[in-house]
Amino acid sequence: MGSPSRQTSASDSSLTPDEYQKFCEFFYRKTGILFNDKKGYFVDRRIAERIEKTGSECFRDYFALLRFQASGAEWQELVNVMTVNETYFLREDYQFEALVRGMLPELVGKRGIGDTVRIWSAPCSTGEEPYSIAIYILENWKRSDDFAIEILASDIDSKVLAAAQLGIFGERSIQRLSPTLRRKYFTSLGDDRFQIIRELRESIDFARINVVDKSHMSRYSKIDVIFCRNLLIYFDDMSRRETVELMYECLTPGGFICLGHSESMSRISSLFVPRKFGDTIVYQKAPTAN
Amino acid sequence: MLVKPTARQRAACESPAETIDFDRLVRDLDDGECVVRRRAARDLGEIAAAGPHLVGRLAIETEPSARAAILSALIRLRSVEVVDGLVAFLRSEDVGLRNAVIEALQEMPEEALPSLRLLLTDSDSDVRIFAVNILNGLCHPGMVPCLVEVIATDSHVNVCMAAVDGLAEAGDVEAIPPLAALARRFADVPFVAFAVAAATRRIRGH
Repeated sequence: MGSPSRQTSASDSSLTPDEYQKFCEFFYRKTGILFNDKKGYFVDRRIAERIEKTGSECFRDYFALLRFQASGAEWQELVNVMTVNETYFLREDYQFEALVRGMLPELVGKRGIGDTVRIWSAPCSTGEEPYSIAIYILENWKRSDDFAIEILASDIDSKVLAAAQLGIFGERSIQRLSPTLRRKYFTSLGDDRFQIIRELRESIDFARINVVDKSHMSRYSKIDVIFCRNLLIYFDDMSRRETVELMYECLTPGGFICLGHSESMSRISSLFVPRKFGDTIVYQKAPTAN
Repeated sequence: MLVKPTARQRAACESPAETIDFDRLVRDLDDGECVVRRRAARDLGEIAAAGPHLVGRLAIETEPSARAAILSALIRLRSVEVVDGLVAFLRSEDVGLRNAVIEALQEMPEEALPSLRLLLTDSDSDVRIFAVNILNGLCHPGMVPCLVEVIATDSHVNVCMAAVDGLAEAGDVEAIPPLAALARRFADVPFVAFAVAAATRRIRGH
């Protein structure tokens, strides 16, 4: 949160310290994302851009637009520019660690050898997340051979789904993978392009799903873990609420939802219980839920 | 090992498409199975006439997941009638329900505003505080004049303080004279002057 000592100058800001603090408090209340003083330049620049693009005369005008616009369109634009996301292999991998060390062992506790474990990546974008989940499980979960692990991956965008199924990635996308993992799971195509091996591509179940559509969502049930990272933040309050309730329906009792690091379920729904595994907080449907 | 679900397995976990039968859905709202009640609430959220049935079920529903589904359906239906039904729950002793209703009312600003104005005249100061708290989170420019009216007229300092919080965020310079008048009206309550000064500074932006 901006501190009262924050100074402004003509070169770096259109916001006074009080305006900055007022904005940060509002943004935090709505999204759970906290900007500290170090983010001042980042925030100021983006607000200045939005003030200009919306034709607002000053921050006060712009804030009134954000605060009262019935459609919420400008709010959504602002969230988009404040939360630039990039996808790559093993992004936020502490959640995969929580998956193999905490969630999966707990979920399979009473299951027998050969039973199904179902994990869903939504949205999967160009595939980095579901493939990362698959690789992480194969490499780090000792019991991965004991269960039939289904990895479902969905997105609303058919173009990114096609790219995900093709499984070709650039150097930048796989930079966090060790040479060993690259050799094991990728085929080099030259020109800094790498394709996921066929076995892995064929083991992920890709589908076009609109997560706010209940008829689409009814296709999925008995899911053990849903990775839904950095998606809900782009929804309006109603869509966010309905999506989470539909995901609740898809989950098996005791199942988990993993959100992005800046997202918090407490602002959306009280249906889930927060659980801490290592450094990450995930959200669990009560094991006794009907 | 990684396996891909077969078409047969996938079909088994897909629900068949069902036609909407209003009377059956209303009956399902009282089903013993929570999952059936949730599904019914979700489907009824697409039928305008379902409002009173959903409100009626909300009054007796104790399962949080079904309650959430009912409230989401009511938000989807949003109407003055739905708001009137929900407002009654602000007097509930169930804190969870009350808070959930507050959030739901904030999701329908256009429809909620007239009822909230009325609640600001309620004889119970707790109800007026709830009304102000809902107004504070309302995405509607009409909330500012309501809050100004509160600080000008309400006799209860805690109701006024709740309104000051909202004005600090959403108020404009026109709220500053009424804020100053509030500080004078409660001159014997030290924290009022402090809160008014903070809100005024925030509104001015410096």
